[in-house]
Amino acid sequence: MTTDSRPIPIRIANQRAYIWDVDDIAVLRSQHRLCGILAGTLPHLSQQNVFLGVPLLLMPEEVVLLVEKKFAVLVNDPNAHQAPTAPQLQKWEEERDEFAKRHIVVNDTKISQNAATRSMSEDAMRKRKERMERKAAQPQQPPPVDMIPEESPAERTEATPTTDSRPSTPSSNAITVAYPVIIESASSTLEWYDTSAATYNTIEAAQAAGIWSYPSNLSERARCGVFRGLWEQGYFLGGGIKFGGDYLVYPGDPLRFHSHFVATVIESPVATLRPMEIVAHGRLGTATKKSHLLCGWNDEKKDVSYLSIEWAGFG
Amino acid sequence: MDDALELPNAPPKPVQGDEPDENSSGDEDSGADWTKLSSLNINRPIIPRRGEKEFEPAPGGGSGLQIHVLDRARSAMFDALRATRSTSSKAMSYAVWYPSIARAHVTLSRGIHFTSMGHSVPRKEENEEKTTKRLELLPEEAIYMIERGALFCTKAGGAPMSAQQAFSEMLGTEDMTLEKYQVYSYLKRLGYVVTRATPPSPFYPVTPPSSTSSTPLRHQSLFSRFTFHLTKLFSRFNWWRPLCINPWLRQHMSYEFIYKSLRFIPSGHNAPLHVKHTSASPYKIFYHLYKPSTPFKKTSPPPPDFSVVVVDARVTQMPTLRELDDLFGELPELPPPLSRQRHPQQGPQPARNQLPPAPPTPTTLWSWISSWVFKEPETPSPLPRRPNPFAALKAGKRIVVIAAVDAGNISFFRFGQGGFEDWPMM
Repeated sequence: MTTDSRPIPIRIANQRAYIWDVDDIAVLRSQHRLCGILAGTLPHLSQQNVFLGVPLLLMPEEVVLLVEKKFAVLVNDPNAHQAPTAPQLQKWEEERDEFAKRHIVVNDTKISQNAATRSMSEDAMRKRKERMERKAAQPQQPPPVDMIPEESPAERTEATPTTDSRPSTPSSNAITVAYPVIIESASSTLEWYDTSAATYNTIEAAQAAGIWSYPSNLSERARCGVFRGLWEQGYFLGGGIKFGGDYLVYPGDPLRFHSHFVATVIESPVATLRPMEIVAHGRLGTATKKSHLLCGWNDEKKDVSYLSIEWAGFG
Repeated sequence: MDDALELPNAPPKPVQGDEPDENSSGDEDSGADWTKLSSLNINRPIIPRRGEKEFEPAPGGGSGLQIHVLDRARSAMFDALRATRSTSSKAMSYAVWYPSIARAHVTLSRGIHFTSMGHSVPRKEENEEKTTKRLELLPEEAIYMIERGALFCTKAGGAPMSAQQAFSEMLGTEDMTLEKYQVYSYLKRLGYVVTRATPPSPFYPVTPPSSTSSTPLRHQSLFSRFTFHLTKLFSRFNWWRPLCINPWLRQHMSYEFIYKSLRFIPSGHNAPLHVKHTSASPYKIFYHLYKPSTPFKKTSPPPPDFSVVVVDARVTQMPTLRELDDLFGELPELPPPLSRQRHPQQGPQPARNQLPPAPPTPTTLWSWISSWVFKEPETPSPLPRRPNPFAALKAGKRIVVIAAVDAGNISFFRFGQGGFEDWPMM
């Protein structure tokens, strides 16, 4: 993959950070060792939670690291979604109608081609003819998707602009021929999506604009510092809440490798550590074949000291 | 002898991908193997098993094989992410999003989703005088439908909304946060019906209040409760001689009586908490959850199967005793779990049924008298079995599910109110 110098736009809305373009997700993962968490539904696998789709959700620590390293910029997403001008909207509608028409034409030629190749025996021809007749008799054929359409004319108000703006394909075709309707995932494909007035290059600028607040206190600064410290040593990091820590520390991409450590952030080098915590961390880490990493953040020196706990295993 | 040792030719057990692997527990994120996804048929998707992982990359950034496998896994993942949301024009529903009221007005509804989503609201159209009822979606319902590719949503001017715009503009309205939406879509993807626990508007259908009243004792004043316990305490037995044997009440001299007498400290969840009310708690029941098997009627939803609280794990402490008590106070008391039948019904016993019916014996006077006199004692009908106290204790009297979301990572916890005072062991 070629090294891309273009900063990745992180879309910020409601203090949460999203990545919507798959190319950006690829750059983040392959070049910057940052994984985030996928949070969306995959359109073709929408009834499961094992594989999820865009958007990619970034941890606040990841956002701070990316912006501080100048790999990414922050975009105030609600502001970047401008209202389209009339010509823009018209152009979009034309393109959509064109797409639908083209698809219908393609389908028609496919059907006729199929008919040509399939007309082998008299019997098949006759059966096909019967089918066609039956189809013509009932104009409402079931759609190819597994959803059964429930036309409810009562809920369809004619006065709203949506109904007006729906594809104005020839009405005779519109009844019988289905064509795919595409819902865009990322807004960057829309012509009226404009980030120029809504982009912030630093965390401070975004904080001043009120769209981003992390890190706002010592605990959050400590988390950012520890995250950065481990990342700079070449590790991949993931969320560690399911292992009783703050991060999971991976030696390589989590797609292929197991994590070696569960890291806990300690806000100060002189913070009290209770013996129970050591026992609990040691216990959980040993049970999951990980070492527990205590990461003490020194807010004055801005550095981290690491201490790992592992059961010695003398029988 | 071990059977496996005696059969050296037995085929090796197939390696199960989802067995807890050696190096890690099964819960790690990104544990799924995306390479197995790409070969799937889109029309009939099958969720593949978890892939296997390695311990660490070889020194110097990984061996050639490791790099190759990683690249394959990554490109499979990115290919799956690039899938477009494309639905047939005959299955697509349409809606218009109104930010001012935080609702999406469904102008054309198709598909089975609307049997459990959306509610009808009377609204006055801009140009018209009369109010008309129309179908509206809450923000989470609209985003979920858009994400599935089942709803084409536009802004009021006709501009199409991308999934990104839906996330940016619909979240943050009507109490909806990203964390709550993630829990919503997670449960919806599993097939649950999810509704709001607190109606966001008077037109939102709610569960009719159940007849089972909550414990009246909770609402008494502290003083009256105190005196109640006090009188209960003194009326029961002589304080100073708790084990005094009264010769006329020998029937009480059982272990049960003695243990009962010793329990003079009020216990159970009806006892008042001596903890002050704190300020606004993040622990509020937000969703009602219905299993896919529960018959659900949108206009009058049944009592929920589960109540779900959603919290942001980054900023929320563990629930305090008071917060849990408040949560349980809103919930209905559940019946103890049904005990499992030890001897399952053997079904129709074919051997006996196949016998030809015995010829009716002639009813003589003697046979009638003998049947009356030598009547076998009727076997007493089996008493309803006492439910297993441990199952009941484990299930709890009231259950609340707390979903803690840490930057996209959802963990579900089930809190049950154990009724230990109801199941004394003696």
